[in-house]
Amino acid sequence: MLIEVQGVTKTFVSRGGEQVVALAETTLDVQQGEFLTLIGPSGCGKSTLLRMLAGLVEPTSGRIVWQGTAPARGSEVGFVFQEPVLLPWLSVLDNVRFPLDTFGVDRRAGDEAARQTLELVGLKDFARALPKELSGGMKQRAAIARALVYKPRLVLMDEPFSALDLLTRDRMNDELLAIRAEVGATIVFVTHSVEEAAYLSDRVAVMSARPGQIRTIHTIDLPAPRGEAVKDLPAFHAWLSQLRRDLR
Amino acid sequence: MSLHPRAIMMLVTPAVLIGLWWLYTVAFAIPPYLLPPPQAVATELWRLFAGGSIWPHLGHTLGIIAAGFVLGSAGGLALGFVLAKLPAVERLVAPYLLFLQTAPKIALAPLFILWFGLGLTSKIVLTVSLVFFPVMVGTILGLRSLPPMMSELCSILRLTPAQRFFRVELPSAVPEIFSGLKVGAVQATIGAILSEWLSGGTGLGYLMVFAGTTYKAPLLFAMVVVTALLGIAVYQVLVLSEKWLLSWR
Ligand SMILES: Nc1ncnc2c1ncn2[C@@H]1O[C@H](COP(=O)(O)OP(=O)(O)O)[C@@H](O)[C@H]1O
Ligand SMILES: [Mg+2]
Repeated sequence: MLIEVQGVTKTFVSRGGEQVVALAETTLDVQQGEFLTLIGPSGCGKSTLLRMLAGLVEPTSGRIVWQGTAPARGSEVGFVFQEPVLLPWLSVLDNVRFPLDTFGVDRRAGDEAARQTLELVGLKDFARALPKELSGGMKQRAAIARALVYKPRLVLMDEPFSALDLLTRDRMNDELLAIRAEVGATIVFVTHSVEEAAYLSDRVAVMSARPGQIRTIHTIDLPAPRGEAVKDLPAFHAWLSQLRRDLR
Repeated sequence: MSLHPRAIMMLVTPAVLIGLWWLYTVAFAIPPYLLPPPQAVATELWRLFAGGSIWPHLGHTLGIIAAGFVLGSAGGLALGFVLAKLPAVERLVAPYLLFLQTAPKIALAPLFILWFGLGLTSKIVLTVSLVFFPVMVGTILGLRSLPPMMSELCSILRLTPAQRFFRVELPSAVPEIFSGLKVGAVQATIGAILSEWLSGGTGLGYLMVFAGTTYKAPLLFAMVVVTALLGIAVYQVLVLSEKWLLSWR
């Protein structure tokens, strides 16, 4: 086990002073090395849960307990946002090396690590390019490289491919599986798409809104390694139907 | 290739305008003290530059522009930074700032002369007051325009406040700051010349007033040309440094 989410709730107080329950009492554990997906309608608290896991937001009640020591530095958590949020004035290589620079890693070691990670995401030939010269999918790959370059214990991804077209999205899914097989990171992933959830995940937590909470958690028993062929399996389609039913 | 027609236009248009100007003065026998013919203005320009009498005036004006621009920008950047970082302070001072910002600074010029005298100080103060606000507003806008996700990235990476500012916030604010600086530079040019209208015996503004009050129309027209070119030059310096700094855009 990597993290235990113990009875965590989050209530925001809006400007008018009303309380908005973003997340009702939630208990969940994140296993070492797993691919866990949160799926649910918008507003059910997926991003809020992810932000609390990242330490960006404090829970209103409950606790988030890390195995061993809680993350003391940023280098323990990688975050991939819905948009790439690259620094537009830095080259792709400099963007990927950016976290290491801010942690005080020396330039040579930083360049080495950044180049390796760029190779991993298939952007080796674009190290010197500026973000504006990349396509949407390539930008998001650079953002993934930036989140992986410091080998965080946990990688959080908040709808990372939802801004991409369907074809690019399928390709990015396969690449994400390959990257994960390579680095063995623990990933908590948020999506709206049942296909994405069933295809990528070891486990899927289905959430419901008002109040936001986890309804059920499924272990997706599809064969590994996943690939295009999995999408033809009856079991894959059974999972899609199951997840759609849960979301209704 | 596409530059070609534009380059031609840039030469042809002024040539045509000067031609029409000349034709008008000749055809209607306009008295030269109202509208001197182009060649008189050209001769005057030649006399000013080749004879060297313009340089002290140009230097004086450029000095005021530079001093006013540097001081005004530094102040605008500093206060813009404080207000962007402390919204509570901004809410407190916003009404006063708005009043000062919209008050016509030219109308304040006599006040500046009263407070700071007829010398260089009041001229620089007037110029500073014109540069300050656009730079301050640009700085606030730029620092506020940081995408929320970018700010979350900084928190994820646990950047120190200094790292956050110098590595992320300031560079992303540069485009808006430059819009402010460009407006500020143009304002500084206007401010410097206006301040020389009001007092003193040196500067391009002084030469204009002198030409006007002594009916030296060719000199006046030459000064209009010089100040217009000066304004364009100052603006271009900013545009070029922006191009260089923002080449990533
Ligand atoms: N900073 C905040 N302040 C107030 N309300 C918020 C804030 N963040 C999220 N919420 C509210 O909490 C609920 C859950 O939001 P979120 O976690 O973003 O949902 P999801 O990512 O599942 O779409 C929503 O109703 C949202 O309006
Ligand atoms: Mg969300």
